[in-house]
Amino acid sequence: MTHAYNRVQGAAREYGVFARKLRAEPLRQVGTVVAPDDDLAAAYARATYDEERWIEMAIVARDQLVTLWAPGEETSEA
Amino acid sequence: MAALDLIEAPSEMSADYLKELKHTLVVSGDTELISAPAYYLAAQRAPSINAFMTGIAIIQDELAHAHIAYHILEELGEDQEKLIFSRDPKSFRYPYAFDVPLESWTELIVANAFYDQAGFCLLGDIHEHCSYGPWKRGLNKVMLEENFHLRNGRNWMKKMSQAGGETKAELQRAVDWMFPLTVEWFGLPDELKMHSKQLDYKLKGKTNDQLRQWWLSLVVPYCEEHGVKVPAHQEGEQYVLDYPFPCTFDAEARRWDFKDPCTWDDVLARWRARGPRNAEMVAMFQEEFHTFRKAHAHN
Repeated sequence: MTHAYNRVQGAAREYGVFARKLRAEPLRQVGTVVAPDDDLAAAYARATYDEERWIEMAIVARDQLVTLWAPGEETSEA
Repeated sequence: MAALDLIEAPSEMSADYLKELKHTLVVSGDTELISAPAYYLAAQRAPSINAFMTGIAIIQDELAHAHIAYHILEELGEDQEKLIFSRDPKSFRYPYAFDVPLESWTELIVANAFYDQAGFCLLGDIHEHCSYGPWKRGLNKVMLEENFHLRNGRNWMKKMSQAGGETKAELQRAVDWMFPLTVEWFGLPDELKMHSKQLDYKLKGKTNDQLRQWWLSLVVPYCEEHGVKVPAHQEGEQYVLDYPFPCTFDAEARRWDFKDPCTWDDVLARWRARGPRNAEMVAMFQEEFHTFRKAHAHN
């Protein structure tokens, strides 16, 4: 489900923030940010999720994720 | 609702669960958010650049924690900007303690040791027991950082106590009013709070008194170990307060009257009226938003 977000600067999108600490571990979602563009989203992600010394961090706009199924949705019955 | 499964989406919730979850998130978001201006006003009195930077890092963490709670509320259908920028100051749902001004670096570090310890207990309990998956996962970050705030408070308390003289006396003066204020933070005692939907819905796992005891068991021994007097002691497995609970508090003078017990109705009335710094702190983050909005009215 994708929400529409409004911020004082105008329309904004939600981004998932993914990171990992070790080469041996998989990338996992550590949080989300809401921003009007990719650059600000990257800045927000870097500033907000600074609790670890991540070796990798990536963000992806939520509306670019193709969800096959998820808990709580109709398709999850499969 | 399956006992062991996490809830992941509104479609899996009853209307009442959603209401309780939102209420709990608002309290959490408001508490994290208001700690930012409360700590900022005191961090300006930092004794060194390094100390100031630590204060600012803590404030940045608190804002990120607030973001986590408010963003979940947004996913649950609330309007984040309205929640933060358009609510009446008195409707914010954070502990009364933050309405009493922190006026020095000493008071800020005692807040780190006491208030952040309270946050650590409350959120640690939610982190362990919360039935709502997105919040449980979001709290991973929060717990790591609250630990850092707590360490800052404890290290400074130890250092100031060891310094002795006026430094230690100033620390003791801060503890004298801030300790009972944090004891109160956990709310009504269990015997008066008959029923908690937050417990029924597994939004938290411990009762108010269990959380209060947990906090006391962490704070009292630390203070005693470092020669800081607190009005509580251990009896068997329990910690017992050495003053009537609750009792009256003069917010302007920041002084407790241990000779004047009061009722919980009196305490609730004081909390509802909010304390001296409520409006000033809320204005600190609300005013600029509305100024910006007026200047960019076309948006």
